[in-house]
Amino acid sequence: MLFSSIEFLFRFLPVFMLIYLLVPEKYRNFVLLSGSLVFYGVGEPYYVLLLVFSILINFGLGRLILNDKLTEYKMPFLVFALIVDFGLLFIFKYQDFVVENINRLISYEAIPILDLALPLGISFYTFQTVSYLMDCYRGKIKKMPSLIEFAVYVSMFPQLIAGPIVKFDEVSERLKKRRISAGGLENGLKLFSLGLGFKVLLANQIGTLWNTIMTAGAGNLSVPVAWLGAFAYSFQIYFDFWGYSLMAKGLGEMLGFRLPKNFNNPYASKSVSEFWRRWHITLGRWFKEYLYIPMGGNRKGFVRTSFNLLIVWAFTGLWHGAGWNFLLWGLSFFVIISIEKSGIGKWLEQRKILGHIYVIALIPITWVIFAITDIGQLVRYLQNMFGIHAGNVMVGNVQLMRYIKEYGVLFIFCILFATPYPMRLYRGYKNKWFAILIVAAVFWFSVYEIMIGSNNPFLYFRF
Amino acid sequence: MRQMKRLDLKRWKKTLRNCPYLVVLIVTWLFMTVGGALLMIYRGYSGFEPDTFWTQPFFAVIMEMKIDDGTNSVVQTDNQAREALALLKESDDRSGWIFAGISGVIYESTKDYIAKAEEAKEEEISEPAVDAIVGQTLFTTYEPVEIDSIYYSDAGKVALTTEYPYSQVGEDYFDDAIFFGDSRTLGISDYSGLNADFYCENGMTIYKLLDEKGVVCQATGEKDDLNQVLQQKMYGKIYIMLGMNELGYRDTAYFLEQYAAVLLQLREWQPDAIIYIQANLHVSREKNNIKSEFNNININDKNAAIATLADGKGIFFLDVNPLFTDSEGYLNDDLTFDGVHLHAQGYMTWRDFLMEHAVVREED
Repeated sequence: MLFSSIEFLFRFLPVFMLIYLLVPEKYRNFVLLSGSLVFYGVGEPYYVLLLVFSILINFGLGRLILNDKLTEYKMPFLVFALIVDFGLLFIFKYQDFVVENINRLISYEAIPILDLALPLGISFYTFQTVSYLMDCYRGKIKKMPSLIEFAVYVSMFPQLIAGPIVKFDEVSERLKKRRISAGGLENGLKLFSLGLGFKVLLANQIGTLWNTIMTAGAGNLSVPVAWLGAFAYSFQIYFDFWGYSLMAKGLGEMLGFRLPKNFNNPYASKSVSEFWRRWHITLGRWFKEYLYIPMGGNRKGFVRTSFNLLIVWAFTGLWHGAGWNFLLWGLSFFVIISIEKSGIGKWLEQRKILGHIYVIALIPITWVIFAITDIGQLVRYLQNMFGIHAGNVMVGNVQLMRYIKEYGVLFIFCILFATPYPMRLYRGYKNKWFAILIVAAVFWFSVYEIMIGSNNPFLYFRF
Repeated sequence: MRQMKRLDLKRWKKTLRNCPYLVVLIVTWLFMTVGGALLMIYRGYSGFEPDTFWTQPFFAVIMEMKIDDGTNSVVQTDNQAREALALLKESDDRSGWIFAGISGVIYESTKDYIAKAEEAKEEEISEPAVDAIVGQTLFTTYEPVEIDSIYYSDAGKVALTTEYPYSQVGEDYFDDAIFFGDSRTLGISDYSGLNADFYCENGMTIYKLLDEKGVVCQATGEKDDLNQVLQQKMYGKIYIMLGMNELGYRDTAYFLEQYAAVLLQLREWQPDAIIYIQANLHVSREKNNIKSEFNNININDKNAAIATLADGKGIFFLDVNPLFTDSEGYLNDDLTFDGVHLHAQGYMTWRDFLMEHAVVREED
């Protein structure tokens, strides 16, 4: 089930919330756990078993790691746990990619392709269970949670399928005891509505332009059209992901949790390093705390630091998807951020305008690498962005004018909401009546868009 | 005990006062739900439908009113469409141009409509062109699979391009041509370089084509009512390709009837035009979803249905699919990004195909 679906908005959520609010406090974790399993199981009837398995084995291993009598076995337990967690992630997410490339390398189908569907959210919940086990190992978590608390931590539906990647100690107190207040309910619902609006009214809509341009074909695009497409995709992925994170945060608040912030106006950054401190914050934090620092971070000399960064960025890329373009995408950040580390980054961050221009020009290029999984098409698209054309430019000024006419207003909204000001305004006025009415309008308009999109499944990218 | 209850109620009241946004949402939802339920009763819907319960709350009716308008039928009742289909099919045995004399048929009431049609049949306005070669529309057949869908079934046959001694023509052939269609025709308009009139837009359906709201004219970017356009200017050729956005709206029989009704209307307005029914392009393997109604079997079902309208005299069926699909009929991955639309250069191939499959009347 997705947040932006009618089933979730008008069937699951109201029923779940009513039960959740009405049951005595001591049953709330149980209700939340069952609700989350239903939420997941509706869309993934088989993989919900994988989720349950993951919860049970990680809980058991966490218990062994924390056991005072078995301290000398802490390390083997952790290693075993990591093998299980990353092993499952590898089998379901990366195996086919690796096998395909091995087969291609030896030009013989030596190993069969499994063609497994990717279990929803596995990248997110695996990272959460790993962070939990690492924290147990490091002694950051001292008191054992109960099985149900741990299960809620891993599976609670607000963050299960698209993050944020929550650390256990951020929610451990609330897992035990949380107050559900009218204020939390109200604020959470508003935040959720805004997130829904970002996803449905901005991301989905601007996404159709990217789709239209890619349909015309990478390789056929004039320079301005290629850049327009890159900007459209940059906005699509931002509002899609930020919208989801806001919805998660809002739902968390409604349930009495405080989930960490995942985005902090990344497009207003003045260097790519700063961008990554503001984009998908909980993922960057995970890689820093559980990979970069354990490898020695920046304390072992220049060469080792660079190597550590290389590894971190390669894995950041691959975490987003099993494909060469994702690896390339991650490594492009390794290159950019390494260059910035020489001092250019700091210099840029002090400039008022230059830094912004630099980020606004560079980030869309990285998103193009992210978006196009076919390397041939990717190269053609990048060539188009810089005026290199193998054949005729077939999508030129005529189409550009049409795109601007059709999407101009939407672009203005996207640009506006990529700045910090609208949310600042919202925070200032969120309890005023007119703000409430605007948010309600955003909610119902989003529902309307979902409705006409779901009634006719093809309307979303109408033929 | 009683005091407890009152206190509790007070607490709820207080909670709700602190949640004005929640209250606004609940009130609007209640309002629309009651409205939607009333509207459904008014329209004669009854009973609980488990299939749609999850995705269609009561208020859906209110929100979708706009869509319902958009998919209005060309003709007022299903009966009229069925008659139109019968007429068009019958024409094959009689005369190619029997409809020339029927005026305003489609928007008349059923009774009038049938009466006029009967009249027209008796009149037998013109004989078919002497010794004209009649094209044959053939089908290849295969073993159909069982489909459990309200929208389509497996036709078990694939319609082929009408067999006819087509001529190879130049681009000027299209100077007096008009194209109708959805986003795929938009692609022809954008990238083929043909100098024809294009009336097409994303999401266009056969049901909306002759709607008075109009269709976007690509030359001007404005919506024009085709009822006027086609009565003002005479065209030599009409190319029509529709059926994709209809895949998930009622069944193939209904689609065919409505399609026939549109052809009948076009024939009435443009009696001398050659009508080309273009097959809907298949989708890629990745986009082919057998669990939904969005798949090549359904597309094929629609194509095979409308191909039966081709009489080989004034109406021809053209299938571009062999140009772009693999041996199993899936759209080639190299030719598409989204699995549905061709890259720009594909439309050049398409244009060449149309230039190789032109009907040239001897009297011209």
